[in-house]
Amino acid sequence: MKIKRFLGEVLLEGEYVKKGERIRSVREINEKIKCGDAVVLTAEEMIRLAESSGVKAAAEEVDVVTTGTFGAMCSSGVFLNFGHSDPPIKMTECWLNDVPVYKGLAAVDGYLGAAALSETRGFEYGGGHVIEDLVSGKEIELRAESYGTDCYPRRHVETTITIEDLNQAILVNPRNCYQRYNAATNSSNRVLHTYMGTLLPNYGNVMFTGAGQLNPLCKDWNYETIGIGTRIFLGGGVGYVIGEGTQHDPQSGFGTLMIRGDLKRMNSRYLRGASFYKYGVTLYVGIGIPIPIINERVAKTAALRDDEITVEIRDYGVPSRPDRRPVVKRVTYADLRSGKVYINGRKIPSSSLSSYKMAKEISEVLKKWILEGLFLLTEPVESLPRKGSLKPLRVRRREPIVRDLMRREVITAKPNEGVEEAARKLIVKEIDHLPVTTENGRLVGIVTSWDLARAIAERRQVLSEIMTRRVITAREDETIDAVAWRMAQHNISGMPVVDEERKVVGIITTDDISKRLVEGISRR
Amino acid sequence: MRVRLIYSPDVVEKPILAEVISKTGLLINILEAKVDAQKGELVVSIPSSGKKLEEAIAMFRRAGVKVEEIKETLKIDREKCISCGACISPCPTQALQLDSDWTLKYDEERCVACGTCVHACPFDAITLLEDAGKVEACSS
Repeated sequence: MKIKRFLGEVLLEGEYVKKGERIRSVREINEKIKCGDAVVLTAEEMIRLAESSGVKAAAEEVDVVTTGTFGAMCSSGVFLNFGHSDPPIKMTECWLNDVPVYKGLAAVDGYLGAAALSETRGFEYGGGHVIEDLVSGKEIELRAESYGTDCYPRRHVETTITIEDLNQAILVNPRNCYQRYNAATNSSNRVLHTYMGTLLPNYGNVMFTGAGQLNPLCKDWNYETIGIGTRIFLGGGVGYVIGEGTQHDPQSGFGTLMIRGDLKRMNSRYLRGASFYKYGVTLYVGIGIPIPIINERVAKTAALRDDEITVEIRDYGVPSRPDRRPVVKRVTYADLRSGKVYINGRKIPSSSLSSYKMAKEISEVLKKWILEGLFLLTEPVESLPRKGSLKPLRVRRREPIVRDLMRREVITAKPNEGVEEAARKLIVKEIDHLPVTTENGRLVGIVTSWDLARAIAERRQVLSEIMTRRVITAREDETIDAVAWRMAQHNISGMPVVDEERKVVGIITTDDISKRLVEGISRR
Repeated sequence: MRVRLIYSPDVVEKPILAEVISKTGLLINILEAKVDAQKGELVVSIPSSGKKLEEAIAMFRRAGVKVEEIKETLKIDREKCISCGACISPCPTQALQLDSDWTLKYDEERCVACGTCVHACPFDAITLLEDAGKVEACSS
């Protein structure tokens, strides 16, 4: 029954492909490539042709459109087989240049993930860099440990390897080539260092990523030609699509691909290790996919322009999960690529994390390969899913939030209160933080015991002279983790808890949090 | 020409820049400023050359301000750079841009050596040259 339903769906997908008026088949295109007669355009050239002659004429004329993308793809990695030493070892832990390799596989098989960090160099160097160094032919330090068995007696090995020494080095990337990607900005008052790069405070800039009008999945928007078995340009070599990628979200237009290719035949120009300051390491992967123009619908999406591909700008200043980061604005890739976007009437500089220059180069190299007859197209054996969307991770164990730990009776002061009177309040109530509010309870400042000590030494009189006006605050529904992180970032020991009108509803301090931790431990 | 003006505590409260501007009539542009009660550092662009420029610099020096010329600030390793753009929008002075063929270009004259781009680059392709790196990175 299950199998039947599954086959039914696959067949339906197949029918969908055939519904469009077929102009040419992949087999016919390959015959033309072999004869040197195929008309191959890069995505940029296809856009220009469709603009001048119309999509219909372009569809009649063009056989293949080549695409390209070159950006950070953290879900990348390489399966390695090291071969056996004598005596042999069943590696249970393994490092390449001090970067840990996943060893939950057979004795000398491992998986090196692009985002794995070096245990000695931290954010500077990681899996992505090892992959680049392997492809460049550099010597890599291999170290491995084991517990020793009758069949694998060795317990330690240390040597150097190059890519030539490996039996296999196969790039297998679970998620590459995002169809689109939402852009990022930052409403908070400090610089954020993220996987979207440096985000300046107060909407200081916008970072975006993705090749837009050159992106393979944008150019085959309905996944009519890209599927399992599609041959692609991968890292300067040849690879294949092996299915939809993780987090594939076709119904929202955020499709992804899972791909594989032989690392030994790749080129380090198109596979580059990268580090994001205070975030981590990754791999920039170059991918190009040929789009066979099998019908007019495919031709139409192959001619999509940057100004027709929209994304949202999301606020990374709010530390929520990605889909809950507030949408600041909806823009097109053309807006983003122009170098400026308008947010709340202000002109904000925007720039890309992925390289349009390299994406373009990849589409040109792939075009050349096809024209020279070195690269033939394949027909997918199965389509990518067109249904399905993303689920978040539900945290079932209840986590403490601010509301659980905050104190509700807040001692406050008014801006015109005297410094000495305020100091007395702190001593009598044994507190360190005194939020300053207006008559109706709205937060306008804060003073700490340290501020008051200094004010008294400097003979200042009134709180409004000495209070800190830019107060770092918390919301009742935030997790303790989030507020503890913020306090550490700002080097403060307490925060007023405010509601939407900035009225003070509580106060939370590092003392409250640590007391709760101690209670939790002693109760166990 | 870009210069860094370093004010000692003795002169930090005097309106020296205003004086130089009013006496020379030069439209000196402040590119970056860090001033507190103890000391001050300004990076300014003086739109002049030859005698007039020398005169302006001499006026600063007579008033007790140390003047350092900023020549080269950044070095971009073109082998490492992939022209992604990660450094472009964080740059406070638009010294980094893409040109018409999508290659990163760098306008030395606009750079104030703040160092923001050094951390923003995922490929470790940008270095702040030593003599330019006296102003602390503003991203810290």
